[in-house]
Amino acid sequence: MSSNKVLVIGGGPAGLEAARSAAELGGEVILLEKRERLGGTPDRESYAKLTHHWRDASEAMAELATAATNNPNVEVKYQTEVKGMSGRAGNFTVDIEAGGAAESLNVGSIIIATGFQHFDPGRATQYYNYYTFPDVITLTDLEKMLKEHNVVRPSNGEAPKKIAFIQCVGSRDRQIGNEYCSKVCCGIASKQAIELRQQLPDSKVMIFYIDMRMYGYWENEIYWPAQEKYKVNYIKGVISEVLPKGNQLLIRGEDTTMSRPMEVTMDMVVLSVGMEPSAGTRAIAQTLGIQQNKYGFIEAGGDGGLDPVATSVPGVFVAGAAAGPADLDDSISRAGLAAARAVASVRKVMA
Amino acid sequence: MPTTQENWNPGKAENRHPEVTYEEKERLFLEVKNDLRYEEFLYGCYECGICVSACPSARFYDFSPRVIAQAMAREDVERVYDILTEDIWNCAQCFSCVRCPRQNNPGGLVTILREVSIKNGLQESKDALQGYSRVIYKVMLKGNQVSPDMLQPDFFPDWGPWVKNFSENMHVWRKAIPMDSIRGLTDVAWRTDRKTLLELYTIWFESGNMDIIKELDEGLYDLLVEVMEEELEEG
Repeated sequence: MSSNKVLVIGGGPAGLEAARSAAELGGEVILLEKRERLGGTPDRESYAKLTHHWRDASEAMAELATAATNNPNVEVKYQTEVKGMSGRAGNFTVDIEAGGAAESLNVGSIIIATGFQHFDPGRATQYYNYYTFPDVITLTDLEKMLKEHNVVRPSNGEAPKKIAFIQCVGSRDRQIGNEYCSKVCCGIASKQAIELRQQLPDSKVMIFYIDMRMYGYWENEIYWPAQEKYKVNYIKGVISEVLPKGNQLLIRGEDTTMSRPMEVTMDMVVLSVGMEPSAGTRAIAQTLGIQQNKYGFIEAGGDGGLDPVATSVPGVFVAGAAAGPADLDDSISRAGLAAARAVASVRKVMA
Repeated sequence: MPTTQENWNPGKAENRHPEVTYEEKERLFLEVKNDLRYEEFLYGCYECGICVSACPSARFYDFSPRVIAQAMAREDVERVYDILTEDIWNCAQCFSCVRCPRQNNPGGLVTILREVSIKNGLQESKDALQGYSRVIYKVMLKGNQVSPDMLQPDFFPDWGPWVKNFSENMHVWRKAIPMDSIRGLTDVAWRTDRKTLLELYTIWFESGNMDIIKELDEGLYDLLVEVMEEELEEG
């Protein structure tokens, strides 16, 4: 039996936007979320502010969630996981487990929006010693501190005076296997650097990088202000190791533009961890029999590469960072396209 | 002090002036940074190197406008002191570097650095400018930079025998020039209007240039002041 229903898997920014857009296009939407609340990674990881409009992350996620849940054509199922799928475009049977109870859904098309997870710095090939020194933290750890306006060194509870960001941790690294650029870390590190200088005006902040990748308006909205107004120092050269020195951290690298080796002490080191496919993204690809790329993200693009939401299975689409590193603009844009394709796909079958 | 495992610090490998205290280097650095022009001369640096690619001096000397901009931006006090005592005198002040996409002006930074170097009487600035006393004298007193009588064989041996011939017969050559403002003059390249000269003298005093000269070369300063003040009083 054909179905006109659109199933959206994942209640983060991409899933919420896909659900809302599909509903507004006249689709009947079922939105599945594994947790008991919507908002995805920005919510779960307590993001403070978002690039590039500096919006409060909780507020923005609540806005996306409300837009989806307020639509009468969107039904949300919490604490739900997908267990299996059969059928084809226009007539999929999806087995789910909602709150412990098994259920079968008949839907016409599916949008995967299962997102990403932050790289685990324990896997880094450099000697950053994340699990050894408490003052080595990640972007995600710092984001929480910034949100609470309580940026302190975990080792002693004091405000750090010298803070270094190390870029490309877990990205652009053949040895790790993540050859891709995670796309957002340059902007997020720079955004956090600005917030650090706002919250701790006496601090010195340095960003050690390979290339700064500040797309479009991130340049004038984040990068230039960070450098010019907030005097954040950008130093080209990646740190090879973080070592203890007294009660500080010694970082070692090359200052490539000054052409000399460099060792400086820091109070806190922030690892700019990149994006990897979430456990949910890896699992859903297996469950639905969707092709993944060599990094585990959902393979997208269609035959000609011009359909960034098409997956290897007709009628199944992908949105957000499940398809690869993406910022919020990317995720939401792709979600809109996935919604349009999903609704169109259902209409084609029904007609 | 010999380098040992204890005092070896590659972060400070550029510290080539251990005889000057860090506090003194920092004071000079802050004098540069607090200059009114500084904010408009240095925004942020991409490290793109367009200033270096456009810089004539960079082709001939160990000189990089990019390094100067970055050392300032990073507040690298030690490195800035090195630059202050050495690099700045390799700049031709041609300002080819101002094509910077961030609108930085490394040449302008060099201008500030030079002024700070001279005002503070750094020996390196005296050494660098020693050969220019005659030019300074000429510019400040006569209003033009090079005059025919400066073309002497001992100063321009690389010009060959022609200079000797010219210097011996300078008056004859100059008399042959058919322009009133130049004809017959040897101690200036062209005649400067007296009103213009008095205005120039006033500018030198008011702009602080005379103070700079005093710090650089007191003998030259006395010589200039004597003439200038007399002229200004008469004028």
